[in-house]
Amino acid sequence: MKKFFILICLLVMYQHGIASEDYYTFNSHEKQQRFESLLSQLRCLVCQNQTLADSNAPLAEDLRNQIYLKINAGQSDKNITEYLVSRYGNFILYRPPFDKATLVLWCGPFIIFLFSMIYLFHCIHNKTKIN
Amino acid sequence: MHIIRTVKFTIPLILFVIIIGFLWHGLKVNPGMIPSPLISQPAPEFKLPQLFYPNETTSNDDFIGHITLFNVWATWCNICIEENDFLLKLTNIENLRIMGLNYKDDVALAKQWLHEHGNPYHVVAVDSSGNTGIDWGVYGTPETFIIDKKGIIRYKHIGPINAAIWEKTLYPIIVQLRNETL
Amino acid sequence: MLPELGNFAIILALCFAILQSFTPRFVQLGTVSAMAQLGFLSLAMLILIINFINDDITVLYVREHSHYLLPILYKIGAAWGGHEGSLLLWCLILSAWTFAFIVFSGKNLPRSTYSIIIMVLGLLNTGFITFLFITSNPFKQDFPETPIVGNDLTPLLQDPGLLFHPPALYVGYIGFAIPFAFAIAALFNGKLDKHWARLCKPWVILPWAYLSCGIVLGSWWAYRELGWGGWWFWDPVENASLLPWLSATALLHSLIVSEKRNVFKGWTLLLAIITFGLSLMGTFLVRSGILVSVHAFASDPARGVFLLSFLAMIIGIAFFLYAIKIKHFYQQPQFNLISRETALLTNSVVLLTAMATIALGTLYPIMLDSLNLEKISVGEPYFNIIITPIILFLLLMMGFAPHMHWGRQSILTLWKKLRMSMLLSIVLGITIPWMLGFKIYGLTCMGLALGIWVILSTAQFCLTLTSHLTLHHLAMIIAHLGIAILVLGITINKSYSEERQVKLFLNEKTSLAGYELTFSKIDEIHKPNYHTQIATFLIHKNFKKAGTLKAEQRVYLSHDQLFSKPGIHYNAFRDLYLTLGTLHTDGSWSIRIYYKPCVRWIWFGGFMLLLGGLITFLPIKKRGLKHAYH
Repeated sequence: MKKFFILICLLVMYQHGIASEDYYTFNSHEKQQRFESLLSQLRCLVCQNQTLADSNAPLAEDLRNQIYLKINAGQSDKNITEYLVSRYGNFILYRPPFDKATLVLWCGPFIIFLFSMIYLFHCIHNKTKIN
Repeated sequence: MHIIRTVKFTIPLILFVIIIGFLWHGLKVNPGMIPSPLISQPAPEFKLPQLFYPNETTSNDDFIGHITLFNVWATWCNICIEENDFLLKLTNIENLRIMGLNYKDDVALAKQWLHEHGNPYHVVAVDSSGNTGIDWGVYGTPETFIIDKKGIIRYKHIGPINAAIWEKTLYPIIVQLRNETL
Repeated sequence: MLPELGNFAIILALCFAILQSFTPRFVQLGTVSAMAQLGFLSLAMLILIINFINDDITVLYVREHSHYLLPILYKIGAAWGGHEGSLLLWCLILSAWTFAFIVFSGKNLPRSTYSIIIMVLGLLNTGFITFLFITSNPFKQDFPETPIVGNDLTPLLQDPGLLFHPPALYVGYIGFAIPFAFAIAALFNGKLDKHWARLCKPWVILPWAYLSCGIVLGSWWAYRELGWGGWWFWDPVENASLLPWLSATALLHSLIVSEKRNVFKGWTLLLAIITFGLSLMGTFLVRSGILVSVHAFASDPARGVFLLSFLAMIIGIAFFLYAIKIKHFYQQPQFNLISRETALLTNSVVLLTAMATIALGTLYPIMLDSLNLEKISVGEPYFNIIITPIILFLLLMMGFAPHMHWGRQSILTLWKKLRMSMLLSIVLGITIPWMLGFKIYGLTCMGLALGIWVILSTAQFCLTLTSHLTLHHLAMIIAHLGIAILVLGITINKSYSEERQVKLFLNEKTSLAGYELTFSKIDEIHKPNYHTQIATFLIHKNFKKAGTLKAEQRVYLSHDQLFSKPGIHYNAFRDLYLTLGTLHTDGSWSIRIYYKPCVRWIWFGGFMLLLGGLITFLPIKKRGLKHAYH
């Protein structure tokens, strides 16, 4: 706990005066966060099991740059996603959109949950009614 | 009541059989192939300098009136050498133009590469930044698009073309496109 | 000469596995064959390792996975670093489990149960060894005319993790063959009693503990090798190991009820079959080439077809037996709505729900693809949304369940007993991030509160038990605390991680999360099988030196690829994690730095599961720990 506390003090003290150049600079914190969260939800098509944020593939680098430019140009997340999907298909999205093909995927968990709850109540009801 | 219970106990078996069925089908599909959403869409717009005539450009207007094989390649791609050998054999096919997109490459190296291995292309467009590649949804070289006479993408092949693939999938598509009127 | 001997050993092992399948007729023969089979498979493994050490490149498998410059430890590890060798290890472990079962449980079981179990294990290994011999023979040879060198082990695998992670994982996976065989025996004989449950339990606990450990090792290895600071990626292969773990956890809890109260028998049997089925499905997913993954083996379609047929046959027969025989097990149990039975049943149903949803997400892309509909990706964002509520609910239950009584529990006493812990955990969950000045997110508070809730309620459980604490209680306490620590680690890590990508020249500084990193030097070092550039960073906090960190960029002589090995500086509360990116023409490096709070808690929690599982096997009388000391 103590270590944590010290850490926080440091966080506050150390925000300035450092001579390194960030790779992607944004004029607002909100944009930076959008950039990071977008990249972590997109799949790299070259090494297919990494996100665009993590991949070192040249294509991932290019796409990162494109997304960076688009965010700085003020485009919305939706625009950027559409831009990528129109080129690479839904495969690039780690969070599949809700549509006809993914209906079962998105509703499935609720159906499974519903069925298991029904099963559970059925079991408990059967077993407790004797009491 | 008895029947209901029997059915209830067969549910795991039924679910299992369904899953096995899907997996069985899934075995036949190549997981690495990502279909392009650009099929049946007009080819993405581009205007790029030509490799051998840097002052002249080429764009999607050049697709109109021909069936085009739009082949994305680079000198840093080793399989492209093998594919190049095969593409050279296709240069004499009637009504077919082969257009190259030199993807994220060094111009001098690319020229030298074509001199060395032979040039199957009618035109080579230079995409040094890779932006056109992104517009076309390219994610690895080599990739080949078949474009019809109206400039619409009809097919995309990922990976090198060889005789077997040509005979089995690509050539039939080209024959079909030939029969379509402009 | 040696490879031929290896082949011969595999054939003999196969013969003995076939003989073992006739156990119900000839019990002695079955037992002896199981032992002989273990001997010959060990011999085969030994020969394979010797081939690696001798660099016998006439053996294809050795040629593809080794190089004469590879350090000797990795040569040994490479024996199971590829598909063929790891499959041999798989068969070896199955026969080792069989052997252990014969030695430790053989005498206590009725003969009918015993012989069916040995038969099932024999049939399984017959299938696996046939698969090994026909489609994936590690001793396949050819004799190249020109001298060549091996392809070398993938750089990602050249890590001590290779020596431990696959064996631990496999011991877990295949261990579930024994509860599966127990289930088949029970279905055949139409009999499942407390005795059965008591004897089966250790054979669930042990593989479960190893599987937990294997998953944790895999996560730790990925973290150290892959260079993006992630410890879980919801990659299909990772999911494939999580699925049997979830179902085995459900089985473990259901088995406890079957043992203590002689109920939930059908459910226990079903879970035993599902767990092993999921283990087999995991193997299939990894080895068939049906999916793209960093962990998957390169593969040919014949393997997929064989494995899927085998899976379909074994598990299909089991489910069929279940469908026709299970009505004999039906029994009218008696317990109250608020009771430990209900709590444990709920637990295992919810765990199975979690398993089913993860399975849906993992298999869905394959299903869509096989219907030629679309190619989609299902990844972290999906799983996080779906799984988080289930996990939170499970944690809530986990606090209550140990305090509930068998049969009946008054809800009022339970509330009176636990209300302080409940209140305290809610208060702490909200105030801790607030006091430390962190941002407060709803989900973070929930995760923290529930983690603390499990710890507090487990501690309370511990206190009520002082006089008759058994090893199984202790195991449960350790495992539950492990889960709580794991959840706290995940919550803090997910909420407060930071990262930054910078361009840095030598002697420049950068900062992250209150730490200042100075790029102090770069060295070039030549190792026998790779060249490496090692960048050293000095870490300062509060103008005091806090340590150094070395990140590497390697070029392996046998591969033309750059391989970045991250540098990690760790303590109990945080990791600083740094990866070297590209070297720019102006001499600067692009560098990614990650601040990962409490990431080690996740693995520590995971290892507590192993500890909890192993502790039940301490040779102390089970009446109570107190007695052991007197």
